[in-house]
Amino acid sequence: MKISISLYGAFRECDPRGSVELDVPEPAKVSDLRAAFEAHGLAHWPAFKPGLLAASVFASESTLLRENEALPANGRVAVLPPVSGG
Amino acid sequence: MSEVECLIVDIAQARLDASAALEFVSDPGFGGITMFVGRVRDLNHGRSVLGVSYDMFDPLALKVFERACAEAAALVGPRIRTYVAHAKGRLAVGDLAVVVAAGTPHRDEAFRACRTLIEVVKHQAPIWKQEHYVDGDSVWSEGCSLCAAPDPGHTHSHEH
Repeated sequence: MKISISLYGAFRECDPRGSVELDVPEPAKVSDLRAAFEAHGLAHWPAFKPGLLAASVFASESTLLRENEALPANGRVAVLPPVSGG
Repeated sequence: MSEVECLIVDIAQARLDASAALEFVSDPGFGGITMFVGRVRDLNHGRSVLGVSYDMFDPLALKVFERACAEAAALVGPRIRTYVAHAKGRLAVGDLAVVVAAGTPHRDEAFRACRTLIEVVKHQAPIWKQEHYVDGDSVWSEGCSLCAAPDPGHTHSHEH
């Protein structure tokens, strides 16, 4: 399934478009997407930091996603690095 | 009875308004009003700051703001009005980055509620700060890792 991943914070440095689309085999869990995202980052983004991904979570528009959870049916997620609001 | 207002303010369109926050949380029955205002500082870790850019995942950020208000109400009871607003975009030194406010019958609940609001916003809302320094460098703040709700059956406690 095709998954569109929105990039925020320091991940925006990786791709100025602010999102990336990846294909992951079904049935796909969040952990599968994490692995695919890391492989894509290492292969295509000089600014990619695996340590930042390890400290990040994936989320839908309404909630944070657990690693063993299925990916949202609409194929839209965001990767959220550590937050620093306020 | 709890009344809530949560806003994301694009700095290109408008500014945060502390007086609007005070007005929203006011009520004839409320003798205590507290507000926290976060502004952009001119110094960070000894480096002179020109400004700050805030990036935000808007739909989830608004949900976290609403949860912050619900947590404040759960803490002090239903007689409360709460307000959370955060700026996004490029801010200059002195600009308001965040305004939270709580109105309650007495001061103790108001202080506790306000503290809850700002802590939830700072530690749980999907917002990212990039500081722009006078020397031309820009750096994303390291921040706090978010943590998804544990799996059902997951019993160990976290230390944060």
